[in-house]
Amino acid sequence: MNKNLRITNSKFIDQTSRISFKFNGKTLYGFRGDTLASALLANDIHLVGRSFKYHRPRGIMTCGSEEPNGIVQVGNDSSMTEPNTRATEIELYEGLEATSQNCWPSVNFDVGAINNFFSLFIPAAFYYKTFMWPASFWKKYEYFIRKSAGLGRSPTKPDKDIYDHRYLHCDVLVVGGGISGIIAAKLAAQNNLNTVLIDDKNNLGGTTLFQENECFKINNSYSNQWLKKEIENLNSFKNLTIKTRTTLAAYHSYNYLLARENLTDHLSLNEKKDKIRQRLWKIRAKKVIIATGAMERPLIFNNNDRPGIILSSSIKKYIDYYGVKCGQNISLFTNNDSAYETAISLSKSGVIVNSVIDIRDKSNSSIVKEAEKLGIKIHWKHTVVNTNGYKRISSIELMKLSDDGAAVVGNKSKEECDCLGISGGWTPRVHLFTQSGGKLKFRDKDNIFLPDKSASEQISIGSCNGDFELDDVIKNSNKSIKEFLNVNNSDYENLEIKCSKETDKKNIWLLPSNKPLGKTKPFLDFQNDSTAKDVKLALREGFKSIEHVKRYTTTGMGTDQGKLSNMHALGIIAEAAVVNMGELGTTTFRPPYTPLTFGAIVGRNVGEFFDITRKTPMHDWHAKYNAEFENVGQWKRAWYYPIKNETMYEAVQRESKAARDSAGILDASTLGKIDIQGSDSSEFLNRVYTNEWSKLEIGKCRYGLMLNEDGMVYDDGVTTRLGENHYIMTTTTGGAANVLSKLEDYLQTEWPELDVYLTSVTDHYATVSICGPNSKKILSKVIPDIDLSDKEFPHMSFKNALIDNIKCRVMRISFTGEHSYEINIQSSYGKSVWEKCFEAGKEFNITPYGTETMHLLRAEKGFIIAGQDTDGTMTPVDLQMDWIISKKKYDFIGKRSLYRSDTIREDRKQLVGLVTDDPKEVLEEGAQIVSETNKQPIEMLGHVTSSYFSPNLNKSIALAILKNGKKLKGQKMFVPMKNKTINVTITDTVFLDKENKRLNA
Amino acid sequence: MLNYNSPIMDVKDYLQIKISEVEPIIKINLRGKNRDFITKIAKELSIIPPTDPNTSSSNEKLNILWLSPDEWLIYSSDKIDLKNNNSLENKLFDQISKIKLGSVTNVSDHWVMINLKGDNVFELLSAGCPFNFNDFKNSKGAVTQTLLNHIDVIIHNKNINDLNLFVRRSFSNHLWSWMNDSARFI
Repeated sequence: MNKNLRITNSKFIDQTSRISFKFNGKTLYGFRGDTLASALLANDIHLVGRSFKYHRPRGIMTCGSEEPNGIVQVGNDSSMTEPNTRATEIELYEGLEATSQNCWPSVNFDVGAINNFFSLFIPAAFYYKTFMWPASFWKKYEYFIRKSAGLGRSPTKPDKDIYDHRYLHCDVLVVGGGISGIIAAKLAAQNNLNTVLIDDKNNLGGTTLFQENECFKINNSYSNQWLKKEIENLNSFKNLTIKTRTTLAAYHSYNYLLARENLTDHLSLNEKKDKIRQRLWKIRAKKVIIATGAMERPLIFNNNDRPGIILSSSIKKYIDYYGVKCGQNISLFTNNDSAYETAISLSKSGVIVNSVIDIRDKSNSSIVKEAEKLGIKIHWKHTVVNTNGYKRISSIELMKLSDDGAAVVGNKSKEECDCLGISGGWTPRVHLFTQSGGKLKFRDKDNIFLPDKSASEQISIGSCNGDFELDDVIKNSNKSIKEFLNVNNSDYENLEIKCSKETDKKNIWLLPSNKPLGKTKPFLDFQNDSTAKDVKLALREGFKSIEHVKRYTTTGMGTDQGKLSNMHALGIIAEAAVVNMGELGTTTFRPPYTPLTFGAIVGRNVGEFFDITRKTPMHDWHAKYNAEFENVGQWKRAWYYPIKNETMYEAVQRESKAARDSAGILDASTLGKIDIQGSDSSEFLNRVYTNEWSKLEIGKCRYGLMLNEDGMVYDDGVTTRLGENHYIMTTTTGGAANVLSKLEDYLQTEWPELDVYLTSVTDHYATVSICGPNSKKILSKVIPDIDLSDKEFPHMSFKNALIDNIKCRVMRISFTGEHSYEINIQSSYGKSVWEKCFEAGKEFNITPYGTETMHLLRAEKGFIIAGQDTDGTMTPVDLQMDWIISKKKYDFIGKRSLYRSDTIREDRKQLVGLVTDDPKEVLEEGAQIVSETNKQPIEMLGHVTSSYFSPNLNKSIALAILKNGKKLKGQKMFVPMKNKTINVTITDTVFLDKENKRLNA
Repeated sequence: MLNYNSPIMDVKDYLQIKISEVEPIIKINLRGKNRDFITKIAKELSIIPPTDPNTSSSNEKLNILWLSPDEWLIYSSDKIDLKNNNSLENKLFDQISKIKLGSVTNVSDHWVMINLKGDNVFELLSAGCPFNFNDFKNSKGAVTQTLLNHIDVIIHNKNINDLNLFVRRSFSNHLWSWMNDSARFI
C-alpha cells in the first residue's frame, strides 16, 4: 500500500485491521471498511478496466452504485466467478480476488485497444449499418459479434451460495439513510409507527456523515456531528428496523417493494461459509418515504474518460470517509459550488489542489469564499478542452469560454495533474418514484426532473426531491413528512442551520472545444462508449424520441443503465432539436435499480424447492419398488416400475399384460375428490353434468362429463351416491382444484338457491385400485366380510366396508375395462391397505402399474383422458359420446352451446380410432393426419392424441381427432413423418372387449 | 392390523423455534348457513362457531376455526384414540347433515397439523408467507388462510408464539422440508 495516498484521520476505516486482496493477480492491502475502489485508489491504481467498444483505458469514476467504469470480475474460480460487479460497491474482505474486464491479455496491454484507432469508422449504429450485407454473411458476422458482445465472463457452474427471501410489512418504509431519511425515520418511529429504514451502505448518514465544514452547521455543531447524534438516537426506537447494506431494487404498484440485503458479501471467505449471502425482502408498506438523494453529474468535454477523472463529490468521499487521496495534485472542473467543498477537504488533508476550473463567471457563495481564503486558484469562465495521459490523466488543457458559452476564446493553457475532479451539478434519484408509476416534472432553473404526481401513498424528500441546500433539505423534509404522516412533532422546527447557498448557476450540456466536434471524444455513456457525436449523428439520421436514440446509440444501456449519461443525452438532444427538456421526457426507469443476482431473485426456490411436490400416502412404497415418477400437476405419480433395467416400453408392456391376464394394482389417490352434501345435491349434479342424476340409486356410481359454458368438455369422473343427500365426486388429478373452484363459484353466484355444500377430501382418502380377472379373489382376501357377487355388488356400485376395523368405501368401477375395485380409505391407512392388497395378490402375480400402463389400458378400451384426447375444443358429440347428453334435462352447464351452428356442424373434428397397416408401427402422439400426400398445400385433417403398442391386442393402436371422423370409419389415411409416411385406417374408438365381458366378468 | 402412518412423524428444534407434527387429531369440516345450524353446533359441542372472520372459538377439547361465512374447521386439542375416532363425526353428521342443516365432513387425514412454537415462529413464516402477521401475532385465537412457500395453509394462533398450522397431507412432506431448511437460517 502506498502510504502517501492514505491519510490517517478517517473515522470510518479501521486502519488497525489490514486486509489482503488480489487485483489482476497481484496481492494488495486495504483496511476493514474499504471498498475495492477505495483500496485500489489507495494503492494508486486507477486503471481498472477497458471500455466496451473502443477498449479505452478506464478507471474508477464514482464512489457509488452509478459507477459506469470500475466494474470487475470477482472470484478466481471460473465456475463460480461473478462478472460486472462495481468496485465502488464491493466491501473489501480477506481473500477477495478481482480482475479487470473486457481486456486481453491484460488491462495494461489490451489487443482490443486497436478499436480506438478505428473509432472514426465505428460510430453509433455501426453494426446495424455494416452487417446488413451480404445477407448470407450474417452467420459469419454473428460468430464474431457474439464473441465480442457483453462484459465479463459468466460462471459455468451452478451458484453454490445460499440466498433466501423474506416478507416484511410496515407502516412506513424510508428508503435512504441520508439526513432526510434519518429525519423521516425518527419522526415516524416517534409516532409509534412500525418503521423500516433501509440504506445501501454499511453506515447511515449519506454524504452529511462526513461533511465537516465551517460552512455547514446545525445548532452550532458541524452537520456531521449533529447527524451522528440523530443516528445514535434511532437505536432507542423498538418499532424502528434499520437495514444497512440493503438496496431497494424495485418499487411496484400499491407500495410493494423489493430490497436486496447483502448479508455476507463483506465477510471473509471463511466467515461467509454456509451462511445466506443475499436476502430479497418483499416489502408491503402502508406509506413510503423516498430519500434516495441525488447523483453528481459529470461534464462532457473532449477526452473526459481517462483514468483519474473522477466525480468531484467522490473524490471528497474518498478523502473524508475512506482517508484516500485520489491523487497528489488534483485539479477540479465544475459548473457549481459542490466542487469547492471537495477542494476545501483536499486542501485540509494536505493534497495539492492545482486549481478549480469553473465555467461560471463568478460565484459569491460562502463555500467559494472559503476556498479562496485557503488560496485555491480559480479559473472563472473557463473550460477544459482536452485531457492528456493514456492510462492515467497527466494534464488538462484549458481555454476561456465565450460570453455565450458556445465557444472557446483566447489561448490554450496546460495544467499538470494526476487526477481531475468533475462536477456538472446534481440529478435527483427519481428512479424508484417512476418505477412506482409516478410522473415527473421538469425544473428549468437547474435542469432537473422532479417527482410530480403519484398514485401511491408516498413522498420524496431531500435532494431526490430537488432540495440541494442543507437548510432546505431539513425544513422541507420535516414539513413534508409531518403532513404525510399526519404527525405533529417539533424536533426539527427551530434548528439553527448555517449553510452555503449556491447563488450562481450555469449549465452547458456539451462543453465547447477548440477542435471540431468530429475530432473530439466527449463521452456521454462511459460504459458503452457512446459520445455526444453519436447522439448528434442519431438526430441527423432522423431519430427524435429519446427511447429511439437510446437504442440506436446504446446511451443509457449497460449495467449502470446510464445513471450518469441520461441527463446529458437528453440535454444535447433537446438543444439540437430545439425543444424543452421537460417536453422531451426521460427514458423509462425499469427495475432493478442496480443489478440483482439471479440467486437473490430465485432465493431458496432451487433444487428440491424449485417446485412444490405432492406425494400420495403410498409414495415411499413406490420409491422402494423402483418406480419412476411422472409429474402430474404437482403430484409425483408412479409412472412405471422397471425391473432389471427394463426400458419404459418393456415395463409398460409387462404391466399391461399382467393387469389383463391376472391382476394389477394402481395408486389412484391423486384423483380429485369432492364431498357433496345438501338437500339439492341431485339437482346440483344435474346442472353440473350433461347426464341425468336424480334417479341414481343410493349405493350406485355414475360417470359424468362436465362442460364449460361453451359446450366443450372440461372434466370428467365418477360420482357415487352415498346417501339421500350425500355424494362423492371424483375429478381428474390435474383438474381437481379448478373444478372445486368452478363449482363453488356457481353455487355462490349462479345458483345461491341450492342447498349444497362442497368439501374437498382429495387428501383425506387414499385410493387403491385393483383390476384384472383375479381382482375379485384378491379383494375377498382383503375384505372377507363383503359379498362380491355380481348381484350384490355389480359394476358401478359401492359398499361401505371395514378393513381390520377401519372404515373404507369400495367402489366397483373401472378405468381399464377390467373387473376392478377401488378402495378408498383414510390416507393414514393407505400404505398399509396397499401393502395388504399387494400381499393378498402375490399368489395371483399382482403387478403394480403406473400411469403409463393406465393410459394404455384405457386407450385399448377407448376411454378418453380429459386434457389428452380433448383440448378445449371438443364437445361430447365430437367425442362420440352423444349418449351422455340428457335430452330430458331442462339445463346443464354448456347445454345451450351444444346447439350453436358451429357445434352442430357434422364435419367438426371428432374422436376416432386408428390402426396402422403395419401393426408394429406405433404412431407419434401429435402427428398430423392427411388424406393425400401429393396435394400442395397439404390439408391437415387432425392429429393423433394417444398412441401405444397394445400387448393384449398385439398391435399398434391410437386415438385421434379427425375432421368429419365419424363418417370416415374404414377409410385409409396417412400420417406423414420426417422420413416416411405411415398408412393408417380409421376405426372405432374401442379396440378391446366391445361387449364389456371383461368388465362384468 | 392396519398400520397408522402420519406423513411426518417428526419433531425438530432450532434457534427459538420448535416444529412438530401433532397427529392423530380429529378434524371435521362444517358447512351451514342458517341460525339453526349455529345453534345446533353450539348445543352439540358447547362452543359457538365464531361468525367474525378469521377468528376461532375453543374449549378444553375442541377448537372451531372460521374459514368462510358458511364454513368452519373443528379440530381436537388432544390426540385421539385411533380405535374410537368416529363418534364426533357420526354424532354431528346425524344431527346436522341428515336433518339438512348443513354438511359435516371428516377431513382428519386431509389436513396435517404442525405445531410451531418459540420466539422465532413469525420469523420462519416471513420466509415464505406473504401474510401480514403484525396484528395477527398479538391476537390470540386469530386464524388465517394463506400461502406458505406457495402452499395453502390454515394458521391458528393458539397462544403467544404458539401456532397450529394445517397443511394438506400431500403437500406436508414438501412443506416440512422447506420449514426445516428455512429454520436453520434463522
